[in-house]
Amino acid sequence: MPDPATQGRFVALVNEHRKILYKVASSYARTPADRADLEQEIVAQLWGAFFRYDEAYRFSTWMYRIALNVAISFYRGETRWLRTVVPAEDSILQVAADEPGTEEDERLPQLRAFIDQLGELDRALIILYLDGHRHGTIAEILGISESNVGTRIGRIKQRLRRDFANHT
Amino acid sequence: MKQSWQAYDRKLDASLELNAHLLRITMLGRAQTAVGRLSWLLAVELLGALAALVWLVSFTVRHAGEARFAVPGAMLGLCALALAITAGRQFAVLRELDYGQPVLAIQSRLEALRLERLRGTLVALVLGPLLWVPALIVLVKGVLGVDAYVLFSQAWILANVLFGGAVLAGAVWASRRYADRMERSPRLQRLMRDLAGHNVNHAIGFVEELRRFGREPGSA
Repeated sequence: MPDPATQGRFVALVNEHRKILYKVASSYARTPADRADLEQEIVAQLWGAFFRYDEAYRFSTWMYRIALNVAISFYRGETRWLRTVVPAEDSILQVAADEPGTEEDERLPQLRAFIDQLGELDRALIILYLDGHRHGTIAEILGISESNVGTRIGRIKQRLRRDFANHT
Repeated sequence: MKQSWQAYDRKLDASLELNAHLLRITMLGRAQTAVGRLSWLLAVELLGALAALVWLVSFTVRHAGEARFAVPGAMLGLCALALAITAGRQFAVLRELDYGQPVLAIQSRLEALRLERLRGTLVALVLGPLLWVPALIVLVKGVLGVDAYVLFSQAWILANVLFGGAVLAGAVWASRRYADRMERSPRLQRLMRDLAGHNVNHAIGFVEELRRFGREPGSA
């Protein structure tokens, strides 16, 4: 049983990086209940693996790896039939108002719709890119080469430009 | 694109709150996860297969001189052995899985595991209708001490084997034709897609996608 100090540190770190949890879960889950369920799965895996976390690495990098790995396997549905449906109001993360940004920035829904269309792996890549990570960090999280990251981001951006052009 | 995302990020800063109480409940394991339940399921599968294996080996040894009991006993024993090995291996893979490793490596392992489970289900669904007659012979003899060959006529046993084959052929045909229309019943749809081989093909497709993703674009 981990000591209260470790538990407190974990809660503080997850709180500090709660946006990662939200962004990944909302990018892979289709409904609010699915998102609540996915957040719970990610937190359980994070906590289960916390004793292996090496402080030499940034917590955000480690958290992204776990969150994306859980989200992609959740999305792939291997454990779908074993899930309990978590009511959306029991979500670990609560958004104060409606999902922010949708009214103020009209391009955001279009961007979210585009991300939804991407495959599981490209979706992970673009979330990391949009969050401002360097190619080296993205390569480290995904386990591919830096040049591969650069080429793939270039291709996704081309697709996105075409998509935006078709909608305007 | 990045500007929209950054604006979204800033607004999340202001509106997103962590429910520390629910987080702690999850940490305490009161909310079991699907991955945890899959591990339990595999552990139960492993224990069941091992128990069946021990009983079948003992049955086969006891009837070593009687081919009509020893052959179905050995056949079922081999199935139990295969199930025990598969479940044990999958249980070990799942327990050792470190989600903190790079995404491509973990997803490749997970998809290989998924493919193995799907193929296992497919084999079980195919063998099920064919193995129930040997299972009946072994169970009736092993549990009740009754000779099924005497109790039922050989023609009856042969008819059941043929009926099992017909059920199997019908199930494969129906799965290929109707699996995609079973959206109201996800579990049945999953079984039908397994039997039709759709889920296996899908998993093979994702394994290939993972390979492509790991390769430099443009490289052979």
